[in-house]
Amino acid sequence: MKPYEWMVRYTAQTDWIRGGGLLIWLSFFTGILGSGSYLVSLYFDSAVGTTVSWLIIVVLKGGLHVVDARRPLGLWRMVLRVKTSWIARGMVFTICLAFFGVAQILLAHELPGSSLETAAKAAAGVAAAAVLLYEVFTINYVGGIPLWNSALLPATLISWGIFEGLAVVGVAGSQMDGGRAAEVGNSIMLGVTALLTLLYLWNAAYAGATSKESVKKITTGGLSVMFWIGTVVIGFAASAVILLSGFASEPVGRIMLLVLEAIGCLSFTYAVFRAGLYSPLV
Amino acid sequence: MTRWGMVIDLKRCVSCYACMIACKQEHFLPPGVFWNRIVVVETGKYPRVRKISIPVLCNHCEAAICVKVCPTGASARREDGVVTVDSHTCEGCRYCVVACPYQQRTYLDDKSKEYFPAQGLTELEAIGGDLYPHTVGAVTKCNFCAERIDEGIKKGLKPGLDREATPACVNMCMVKARHFGDLDDPESAVSVLIRERKGHPLRPEIGSKPSVYYID
Repeated sequence: MKPYEWMVRYTAQTDWIRGGGLLIWLSFFTGILGSGSYLVSLYFDSAVGTTVSWLIIVVLKGGLHVVDARRPLGLWRMVLRVKTSWIARGMVFTICLAFFGVAQILLAHELPGSSLETAAKAAAGVAAAAVLLYEVFTINYVGGIPLWNSALLPATLISWGIFEGLAVVGVAGSQMDGGRAAEVGNSIMLGVTALLTLLYLWNAAYAGATSKESVKKITTGGLSVMFWIGTVVIGFAASAVILLSGFASEPVGRIMLLVLEAIGCLSFTYAVFRAGLYSPLV
Repeated sequence: MTRWGMVIDLKRCVSCYACMIACKQEHFLPPGVFWNRIVVVETGKYPRVRKISIPVLCNHCEAAICVKVCPTGASARREDGVVTVDSHTCEGCRYCVVACPYQQRTYLDDKSKEYFPAQGLTELEAIGGDLYPHTVGAVTKCNFCAERIDEGIKKGLKPGLDREATPACVNMCMVKARHFGDLDDPESAVSVLIRERKGHPLRPEIGSKPSVYYID
């Protein structure tokens, strides 16, 4: 781009999706996946699920942030501005989940059913919910990108988190009924997530010229192949086939379901990040 | 209370890019990093086409979004209204870059680029590396030449009136399209210009209350 072409047309956001920004996009994806899975695993009493989810958030997501940071040892400063900064709040919530999550996992193993375990469960659940909220509102707060500033985006991303979380519990198994309830929940959440995704994009197309341009980029432009194949065909259609055919009752089917839904979420979040456009300055 | 601000006269600007170059030279900015830019827009249809040049820079907003979103406090607004970035505290999360609706911040990911590739650093680039080092992995942006303002005030000079205490872009403008001064002083040149010529900020609907005004 020549200097005189800058911000004259719609300008794509690149800092959180190109080069080192890919790590930030991946950290958002793992945060949504991990926190959604943790909440669902808590509900379905899945010890493996909570452990895997904790690892996804603390180790994988945390690791991505550490690799991206200019000075990892200076990351402690990111807890200083909780009053106004969503990233600072997220840092605090993630630290809380790290501690309460360990406590919950250990107590579930050592003292199952005790009041201490219940308290740890509640605290970890609140922390996981807070992490999920931080993930979605960090993106939603950016007023300069109309596609991200939609009221439907937080609901859509939370839905994706729960949707994937049910697939994780399906693979990890649950104490409640061997994962059957998670399978039913997954079917319901597939419909809810698909509907919310459609409504989000539909609403964004009416929310202004810049937002409409972003939706065009996703649905008919440069990101359309990835969106239609990754999100719609693989994420929704293929998952629906597995769920409706009953193949999801098989262990292989559950693993396939998890992979398909993860690909769907990856491609959707990638599309949202890549299609984020700023309005021309004048 | 002092609130430094700038007024840019769009009728005078001839888009010579001198302000952009002066800023680059003053701060030894690496290739690809611009603290000052010129937005060039064409309006109208042939034969009544008009070209508008709008110099843009960090607006040093009163309700700066970048300051709100910064998790470490690296982005901060001084008492005199200048929004600065402490590169030592900045962790490079780029939230301020993404959140700024005016897109006036740059994340410096590679300082090794030269203006003349494969020919080594020029003398100016080499001096700049020592005099005004930029931190790789941190965010950088216009600081209203805060060093010039602070040094000038220490010497008893008036920013906006005395060249030594005035931002480089204002000094360089050969058509005197740029004016710098205290927006909280009703008798300052900038305040008078805004009042008399109906100065307006860029995209006031964003609500960040910019300190850079335009008159046309």
